[in-house]
Amino acid sequence: MHRRNWLKSISVITIAGMTGCRGYQYGHVIKPTAENMVGSHEAGAEVFDPLIDEAVAKLLARQNIVTDDCPLGPNGLPMKKSICFVGIENKSAEDIGDFKDKIYNQIDSKILESTCFQSMSKRMVDAGLHETRMRPDALLLPDNMRLFTAVLERNGAPVDYLLYAQLTSGTTKRNSSTQRDYELTLELVNVHTGMNDKLSSEVRKGYHKTAGGKFWNYNPLKR
Amino acid sequence: MTPRARYPFKARLSLSLHNQNLGNLAACLLVLLLTGCSTHSKRISQPRNLFYDGQLQACRDSLENLAKSNRHDRDVVNLDLAVVDLLSGQAKQAEIKLRDVRDRFDHLEQDSLAEKTISMWTDDQARSYAGEDYEKILIRVFLSLSSLMHDGVDAESYTLQIQDKHEELGQRFAERNGNKGPEYQPLPLGFYMRGMLREATLRDYDDAVRNYEIAASMLPNSQPLLWDINRVKSGVHSQPGQGVVYVFAMVGRGPYKVEVAEQPTSDALLIADRIVSAVGPYKLPPTVAPIKIPDIAVPPSDVDCVGIRIDNSPIGPTSSLANIEQLAVSTYRANRNSIIARAVARRVVKKATVVAAKNSMGKEGLTAVGMDLAGIAWEATEAADTRCWGLLPRDIQVLRVEVPAGDHQLHLNPLLGNRPVGPSKSTPIRVVDGLNTYVICWFPDARSVSQIMCSNRAELLSSN
Repeated sequence: MHRRNWLKSISVITIAGMTGCRGYQYGHVIKPTAENMVGSHEAGAEVFDPLIDEAVAKLLARQNIVTDDCPLGPNGLPMKKSICFVGIENKSAEDIGDFKDKIYNQIDSKILESTCFQSMSKRMVDAGLHETRMRPDALLLPDNMRLFTAVLERNGAPVDYLLYAQLTSGTTKRNSSTQRDYELTLELVNVHTGMNDKLSSEVRKGYHKTAGGKFWNYNPLKR
Repeated sequence: MTPRARYPFKARLSLSLHNQNLGNLAACLLVLLLTGCSTHSKRISQPRNLFYDGQLQACRDSLENLAKSNRHDRDVVNLDLAVVDLLSGQAKQAEIKLRDVRDRFDHLEQDSLAEKTISMWTDDQARSYAGEDYEKILIRVFLSLSSLMHDGVDAESYTLQIQDKHEELGQRFAERNGNKGPEYQPLPLGFYMRGMLREATLRDYDDAVRNYEIAASMLPNSQPLLWDINRVKSGVHSQPGQGVVYVFAMVGRGPYKVEVAEQPTSDALLIADRIVSAVGPYKLPPTVAPIKIPDIAVPPSDVDCVGIRIDNSPIGPTSSLANIEQLAVSTYRANRNSIIARAVARRVVKKATVVAAKNSMGKEGLTAVGMDLAGIAWEATEAADTRCWGLLPRDIQVLRVEVPAGDHQLHLNPLLGNRPVGPSKSTPIRVVDGLNTYVICWFPDARSVSQIMCSNRAELLSSN
């Protein structure tokens, strides 16, 4: 009896041993039309992509209006305005990690695609910051702005506008659920006049500790 | 009288079967014996001594032999080899080795029931070593340092991986223990390095502030971190015409595991009881003799920081950003009860096996005594799993200094209580306007003979 029990336990161990092998990791390519994965703890592509699309579209729509003071090019069409995208400031509650450079490139590429702006190379902007050793936020001071634009102009990259992006967030908590509102603000500063233009886009996202958290907090019968 | 004449046929058959069974059991025990006894701490002692004597080539040869002869030691030996490579100026090779071990450890984080089962019959050394939590973080820290020492292309990615791993380990710790306890301590160095690299972009000061602040929250008494925060909040990376030198000082001999005999605690017995109950119809005996488990040993150190001078101008001492000794001890304490429980469960399984084998072969006096002795020998061959990254420093310290661009002479002096305790070492460095220059030095003790590595060393040597 004792031996039978022992053999039984040995078989259990052996079967368990044979089935409990370490697995592999697999990957797959996501189709461009497929929806983004939704981050469970913080913002990801599902937040940043629409934020960028909306904010840049608003900016381009407003700046596309051709006024009388727009200089005309040799072909009689209004000349493209030169933008220096200084950088993104993350003021949100989350660390955006490797998304920062991606957001920069996404905004930069969208501006380049437009008909009214030409964006300056990031390397040129870096060279200007390196030479002047100024903080991006210090460039708004008139003297610093003059010095910075003079350096860029000397390097063959005259600039009309400085563009700043700022990511902010606001958090609302309710028991085990949290709502976080993400806002991307684009600020365009005319280096000739000092006037600025500001646009923003917002995406709200809910985080829940339970599966029913979404329904409980956002159902149409609530309030 | 011959045995044939002494015993009737039936008795002869029974004796022959018993002898055959005994032979089989002895053969099994011999196989198991071969897997036990020697521990990693014994095998690594010679290469470790060679390393601390500054004989890097001999240490490398010894480690390579060890990696070839002991399959289960290969990953930890590769970590030690990576340190030897890094300090002998082969940062690229170090990075390749560290990357391999990082991927292996990530893969080994999944449990293997096969290995668990085998380890119940042998010892914990039969399990693949998946690395301690602090080792997983330090692999990424050393990856980042290795990258900075040759091209720096992947350094920022590695610093992001440090943070990801911190988060992952923290979550796993919370799942295991209910919440993040005091045993879970992230390394401030990872956050510091991320801040350092973001500051060097001359653009992402906000990221630098965020990371320095996290590091400062873990080391509230660190004055240099407060200076860093102050600088990135309102100042700039460096003034025009100046560059920055970062000295990473590896100070003291790091912790390693040794084998000790331990009396099981009541918590460990409780966990062991659960394991044993799951395996078969056995109960834990009320008392268990001392068992062999690993413990953390930290050699005494006669250096507590490194004094820096540049061109004979005193700059100051390095300050700690990764107390590896403290981290290793706290990580070990968090897992100690599980290690003891596994050892107790193994003891019970082995005892039960011997009893079952005795029952199956009858209860003849001499055979029973022989099997008991074999059982004792089987238990005695069990050895603690002392595998660990053996060539770690006790502390990783950093000093940041802004100096005019150009060639300088860097002097390093081991200090104990702010007093020099060993000869000064020096190396030429080249500082580039607006960029960082990285220096790695290792002071296992005051009389160490290891080298100082500089990130643009190759460039310096070619120009000289």
